[in-house]
Amino acid sequence: MDMKRVFVGIQALTFYSTKKLLFGKKAIITILVALFVAAVMGYAGSQSKAPLEDGTNLMDTLILFFFMPVMAMIFGSSLIRDEIDDKSITLVATAPLDRAFSYLGYYLPLGIATAISMVAISTVGWLAFFGQHGMGSDELGLYLEIVALVVIGSFVYSSLFLAISVLFNKPILFGLFYAFIWEGYIGSLPGAIQNASVKHYLRSLGSEWVKFGDISRWDQASSAWGSAALLIALTVFLLVLGAYLFREKELA
Amino acid sequence: MPIVQAQALGKWYGQVIGLNGFALRVMPGITGIVGPNGSGKSTFFKLILGLIKPNAGSISVLGKIPWKNAQLHSSIGFCPDYESLPADSTGREYLTLIGKLQMMHGTALSKRIQEVVKLVEMERAIDRKTGGYSKGMKQRMKIAGALLHDPKLLILDEPLSGTDPLVRKDLIDLIKMLNRDHGHDVIVSSHVLFEIERMTQSVALVYRGRAVASGDISEIRNLMDRHPHNIIIEGERATALAKVLLDQDYVVSVAFNDNKDSLTVQVSKPDDFFNGLPALIDKAQCSVSKMYSLDDNLEAVFRYLVGR
Repeated sequence: MDMKRVFVGIQALTFYSTKKLLFGKKAIITILVALFVAAVMGYAGSQSKAPLEDGTNLMDTLILFFFMPVMAMIFGSSLIRDEIDDKSITLVATAPLDRAFSYLGYYLPLGIATAISMVAISTVGWLAFFGQHGMGSDELGLYLEIVALVVIGSFVYSSLFLAISVLFNKPILFGLFYAFIWEGYIGSLPGAIQNASVKHYLRSLGSEWVKFGDISRWDQASSAWGSAALLIALTVFLLVLGAYLFREKELA
Repeated sequence: MPIVQAQALGKWYGQVIGLNGFALRVMPGITGIVGPNGSGKSTFFKLILGLIKPNAGSISVLGKIPWKNAQLHSSIGFCPDYESLPADSTGREYLTLIGKLQMMHGTALSKRIQEVVKLVEMERAIDRKTGGYSKGMKQRMKIAGALLHDPKLLILDEPLSGTDPLVRKDLIDLIKMLNRDHGHDVIVSSHVLFEIERMTQSVALVYRGRAVASGDISEIRNLMDRHPHNIIIEGERATALAKVLLDQDYVVSVAFNDNKDSLTVQVSKPDDFFNGLPALIDKAQCSVSKMYSLDDNLEAVFRYLVGR
């Protein structure tokens, strides 16, 4: 196998698709979500008497566990599926790059674009809330912790929704179910069932890092190292599964 | 040595048969794949490219099996019949991505992009978004993409469809030049025989998922000529013309249509009929206002070849 060809191919696809995701039509979604988050957090900030507690809770629930899976779903469910549907996938499918590696060339830009969008949204929300109360080292620390969780979550959710887009002909339906019903509802239920969501393990990591808000006092958390290992294993498994499915897929 | 060899090839999509018992050897040069819409041409091309895998039989391209063989794509350039250009990208971005996936980069890639856009006469539109291209421009840009890495084999699926006559002529000239001057082997499909005839003498006829005939186009023409033709003749004194036509050995039957000024003539040797007709009109002292063949088209030949 010519690894130089593989590396160059993945690099070319990553650059092309990242640009497409960040500056294409979907950029408007990022802008709208950022404006919404700015409005909500700006208003909440103006009413808050305990900014670090309230701000952390808002970033936790609004950004980390609502918009992050939703944005990953919007980007991830459509990246490969749209190209299959409009047949522009032909360009990649007829390139001298094994499809398993082409899949990686879709995953990396998806993770990068989701992470950049979510970091931008988090930054806007953080500025809108804490900009009204002064920003010291605690606020900056909180920002960096949330950004770290957002970046990790972006790559985990991207692997999930990209695999879904190869597996299903209508990935957006399954994506909606997963993002809202499974992550949003099942992931919030008390007891062991919530351990079956990505949200649980991200929150477990967050409860180890973040010192304010409900997340810091969360008593259902799994161990941080165990959560990190599980998220890595899940991402690798989903990547291998997605790459296998994409390689076997007939592009009629 | 054949560049493409298919043996007992079968491909079906659920209940729909794409190809069935498809056998064909494609030799170097320009080869035309001719068949009506839905006959299996595009399915054959997708199998050549390894985009789909056969359900039965085998196919080899440049001596290799195409399914899951990405390396083969270094030697093949593909221009699909559908719109495959990413609408948000400029022509240059599209070609640059193809080039990089083909391990081309830097000034060599820039130079090659300039060469191919010049070849397809798209220099002035290269920095425009492909979504704003006309049908002819899209076809040219897709051909540029297929040519970029200078592949041995070019697969052009209906490259002339939807283009106006001037663009069509240019594209035909371009395809001939790509073979003659640049040495590319070309497999080109169309559902119009005379378009293929202007590019090559080597054709394969595809009908209902099978290659029903292949070889020199003159042999196909002979098949068409041997096939009894139904010809409608309209004009005054058609009865007199019918009488003299029945004396000719190449006339199989003559029948009057709705009125006595319209005849359907079935002939076994169309060339003899058309050559002899002026003299017969003169002999019958009649006038012909309209004449047309009911089945001088590929569909009729296909039906004839498969015995339907």
